[in-house]
Parts: sequence; C-alpha cells; structure tokens
Amino acid sequence: MAGRFRPLVLITVTTGLLLATGCGGASLGTGDDSKQTGPVKIGLLVPQSGTYKALGDDMKAGFELYVRQHGGRLGGREVQIVIADEGETADSGKAAAEKLVKQDRVLAVSGVVSSATVNGVKDLFETSRIPLVGSNASPTTLTGTKYIWRTSYVNDEPGKALGKHVAERAGGPVFLVAAGYQAGKDEIEGFKSTFLPAGGKIAGEEVYTPFPGTKNFQPYLSQIENSGAKAVFCFYAGGAAVDFVKQYRDFGLAGRIPLYAPGFLTEGGVLKGQGDAADGVLTALNYSADLDNAANRKFAPAYRAAHGTDPTTYAMASWDAAQVLDKAIKAAGGNVTPETVNAAISTVGDIDSPRGTWRFNSGGTPIRPWYLREVKLGANTLAGDLGRLGG
Amino acid sequence: MAGWLDGNLVSVVDGIAFGLLLFTIAVGLSLVFGMMDVLNLAHGTLYLAGAYTAYALSDGTVPGLLLALAAGALVGALGGAALTLLTQPLARRGHLDQAVLTLGITFIVADLLAAAFGGEVLPTDPPASLRGTVDLLGHTYPVYRLVFIAVAAALALLVHLVFERSSLGALVRATVADRDMVRAQGVDIRKVLYGVFAFGAALAAVGGVLGAPILGPGPGVDESVLVLSLVVVVVGGLGSVRGALAGALLIGQVQTLGVALLPQYAPFLLFGTMLLVLVVRPHGLVPSAVRT
Repeated sequence: MAGRFRPLVLITVTTGLLLATGCGGASLGTGDDSKQTGPVKIGLLVPQSGTYKALGDDMKAGFELYVRQHGGRLGGREVQIVIADEGETADSGKAAAEKLVKQDRVLAVSGVVSSATVNGVKDLFETSRIPLVGSNASPTTLTGTKYIWRTSYVNDEPGKALGKHVAERAGGPVFLVAAGYQAGKDEIEGFKSTFLPAGGKIAGEEVYTPFPGTKNFQPYLSQIENSGAKAVFCFYAGGAAVDFVKQYRDFGLAGRIPLYAPGFLTEGGVLKGQGDAADGVLTALNYSADLDNAANRKFAPAYRAAHGTDPTTYAMASWDAAQVLDKAIKAAGGNVTPETVNAAISTVGDIDSPRGTWRFNSGGTPIRPWYLREVKLGANTLAGDLGRLGG
Repeated sequence: MAGWLDGNLVSVVDGIAFGLLLFTIAVGLSLVFGMMDVLNLAHGTLYLAGAYTAYALSDGTVPGLLLALAAGALVGALGGAALTLLTQPLARRGHLDQAVLTLGITFIVADLLAAAFGGEVLPTDPPASLRGTVDLLGHTYPVYRLVFIAVAAALALLVHLVFERSSLGALVRATVADRDMVRAQGVDIRKVLYGVFAFGAALAAVGGVLGAPILGPGPGVDESVLVLSLVVVVVGGLGSVRGALAGALLIGQVQTLGVALLPQYAPFLLFGTMLLVLVVRPHGLVPSAVRT
C-alpha cells in the first residue's frame, strides 16, 4: 500500500492550504465614472464568511435599511450596492477591496470590520482617491488619511470612556485581559490612559490571549482568581465574547468580580449566545438600542421590524455611513465623482444619528458622548453617561 | 507544592477535560489517516455538524442530549460513509488530491451550515440537571465538564478495547497490513474501509454533540478543531489509539496548565510542543505498531 508517513509534509501542506484561501487577484480597469444620471455604485466591504460574519450581516442590514428608507436613493441618485466579502484576514479583505475599486469601480466604499483590513487597504483608497466611509474598524494608528472616514469610533475610545469610572468604582486592583490583536491592545491602552491617572491599580500584568484560537479561557480565569482582583476589564468580540462570558460564569467569577468591557462584549448576536451568563456585565459604547431620540425612533423600530432583533452599534454606524454618503452625494450636486464626494464628506456637518447628533473631527471620526450600559434580562440597558470623546 | 497545586488544580482538571475532548475528535482522524491512508481535512466539519445537531436537538433535558447523541452519531456515520465514497477514487493519487477534495467539502458544508444556522456562535447549554457548578477543593468548577470527563474517558476505553483487543479490531489491523490476504479469506474489505471511516467520523460528531457546551458551534470552529486535531495526531503518532490519547492529553495540558503558567507564551506553546515532539520523536509519542 502507501509509503511511509511524513507528518511534517502533512502539516506543511495543510497549513499552506489553510493560509492560501485568502489570496486573490485584482483585475485592471481604467476610465472614468462620470455618467451623471445613472445609478451610483456603492461598495459594501463586509465579512460574508468566517468569525466576523455576524458583524458583517448587521452592517449590511443597517446600510440597506437606510437606503430602503430613502426610496433606494442616496443624495437623489439611485443606488446599486455591490457587496464584497471581507472574510477573516487582511489578505481576503484586501482582495475584496481591490475588486470593488478596480473591477466594479465604485463611487465610494463602506463597511470594513477588521482593523487589519483597514490597515491593509489604507494605501489602496488613498492612492485611488476613493472615499472609504468605514462603519466599524478604526485602529488608533490610522491617522493622516484624506480618503478614509469612520462613522464608528476610534478603537481606544471604549476603554478611554470606562477608565475613570472603573478606577472610582473598583475598590481595588483591576485585572486586564484582551484578545491578542491590535484592537485588543488599543482598548487596553485606551483604558489605561484614563484609568491610571484616575488612581486605578492593575492586578498583576495585563494578559493578551491568542487570537483567533483561544476557546478555553479557564487558564486565564484561574489567573484572575489567583490575582485577587476586585474587577476585570476585558476586550472580546464575536465568538470569543460568547466563550469568555459563559466561562466567566461557569467558573464562578460572575457575581463575585464585576466584569467591565467595551460594548462589543455584549453587542448583538453574541448576547443571545451568552444567555443569562451575561447578566450584570457592564459595558461602554456609543450606542444603546433603548436610547430615546428622534433618529433612533426612526431607526430602531424599523430595524426590529425587519430583523426581529435590537439594532447593534454596527448596524447603527452603517446606517450613519449611508446617511453621510446620502448628504455628501447630494452636496456634490451635478458632478458626482469619488473626489467631489470625498470633499463633500469633509464639510458634511451634523449627522442626525440614532446615537444622538455627531460630526466628524479632523481625524475623520465622530465626536460623541459615550454611554455606560448594563446587561439586564438579556438586553443592554442604559446605565449612565461616560462623557464626551473624540473632540 | 500544596500552594502550587491549589492555584493550578482547576487548570489540571480542565486540561484533562479538554484533552479528552480532543481525543474524541482526533482519534477518528488518526485512524482514518493512519490505517486507511485517507487525509480527511473535512474532519473539523464533522465536529461542527455534531455541535449543530446538539444545538438543534438539546432541549435542556437528559433524554434530549441522548437523542442528540444518537442523531449526531448517525450524522457523523453518514458523513463518514459519504467521505469514503468521495475519496475512494482518489486512493492512489496521493494526499494532496485528498486534501484539496476534503478541504473543498469543508468550505461547502461550512457555507451551508452558516446559511442554515446563521453567522453567530450559538448557545448550547447542557441539560438543566448538569448545569451549575461544584466545589473542587475551594474552587468553582462546572458540573458538566466533570461529567464530560467521565463520559469521554469511557469512550476512550471503548475505542481502545474495540481496536486493540477485539476480533473486529484485529480484522481492521489485518486489512491495513495486507489487504489481499484479508480478501483471500473472503472478507469484503470495502466494508472495513467504510466501517472505520464511518466509526471515526461518528466519534468526531459525538465529540461535537458532547463538546458543544464547551466549544460551541459557529463559523470557523471547524477550522480550529481541524488544526488542533492535526496537532494531536502528529504529536501522538498516526494510526494509534493510545497515541491519540497521549497526544490529546498532552495538548490538553499544554492548552490549559501551560497557558496558565506561561500566559505570555500562549501563542507559541501549542506549536512549540509539536516542534519539540517532532524533534525528539519524529513519528510521534506512540508510533503505530500496525504500519509496515
């Protein structure tokens, strides 16, 4: 029968295959897109597969809801939404972005879940001079760009918003643990930047858990227990958030050591996955589905009616991204090109958002107050105001 | 020493639970590859199918879990049979072709499952009577994981007895050693091939049903399970039940106790261990005695 086995060959081949799935090519295209009557093409770069699929679905739903509520038009022009799968890695995201820019030749792009993708496509958008109105990913390192806007927040802001509050409430050292990628590091740094000046003390050393791949958080939970911490600040999103929160309860930490986190820990579908294990978790975010303002009264019920769940901050920021494009395309008037739209975005002014009114700062991110939320009976409820960030 | 044990007891126990979960999943991969010479990269998908079965059928009762186990085993066995059917024509074309075929199946099934169940990690709670926690020498530990250790240990023993002590196991090993001789004795070796594949696949799916409360179903889980299984198989040695057990328990401890002691090296520990084992024992901890 077959010859001898070489495990190394097996592993090399397998790893190669698993890694190779993210590659893709880009086709070339030239010409200009200046037909001023037909539909405008807007690219949505959102994950349609992998870990972030749920976030991608929310973002798509939020963006499409705005367009639907406005008769399928943005700025008076009919809209054709082109969806590209961001996937899970910077490589797959970059390939999809290149397709949108070079093959579909879209007017502008929205979406983008992962910080790694945004870093990977930064040069593409800057050199192609096509605006990216991102509605989630926003690493702290993304500065000095002219064509990249975010309707979401900057990665370190949820941590920044919580730092002082936790320092005042914890009553002892606080344990810091986060997923080991850039967003996790940004959140921890943001948290420390307001937590330490307010007199907060860290229990032991901050811990970064390997991402993706950490499914069993028991070793880290043991460490938290052994450290004598009075509170925990963590950053997780997606599947890892479900695992972390459930295991936090299963290993007896919930109810004994308060758990603080950026809002992504309990946002959207993950909250359903966590079930009653999430009760009492305290999070900071720029949005809560139960906010009472005119835009949210227009947004949240319509979203619930269409999807049967509360809208998430991802959906809300994507709804806002559509609104930004709506206003910018209108402002660009008779000459709608990527460049005129980008110029119009910089002067777009106040955005009437479900989170409350906001405007872009000079870094291309919103200036907005932040909210403290507590999970009660399986829903995020507004628990306080954490002050204004971004300006 | 007592203090160390007190601080790390939960990690050690949890390492056993995690290791036994890995064994249940990886032993099928090891047997199918080691004995049948089929590289099945759709193995993680079988776990995922089992976990989704548990999600769909578990209603918070023990009979619900038993029903899910039976359904999961059936789904796994059918999946294994289908995979045998598909990989048979490639038997003489090397591992790369098998890898590409089975990886393609992984993508297709993952997409179908995502379409059916959505993109989120789904909550799969153990039966109500097994929720809750127990006190383990002053530390809180989930009841379900203790029960899981007992069940998975029994499964491991069963697999060991079937493959190494029963006449059925002898037939399988004989098929691997000399197919023509077995055929000459009037045995239809296709039945053996299908049987081993279906059995290994059913085990992975059963692992999915039992493991769903620990490692819940969601997109991407199939891939992480596959990578862990491959590491276990390489560390333990191909085609050996004892090897898979040794590898799984070692990786289990590395992933819990190792991570608890050296959190800053957590990303490196898993593959560092594999590298070390490959350097010291290139054929794994317990190389298969069957292979010629």
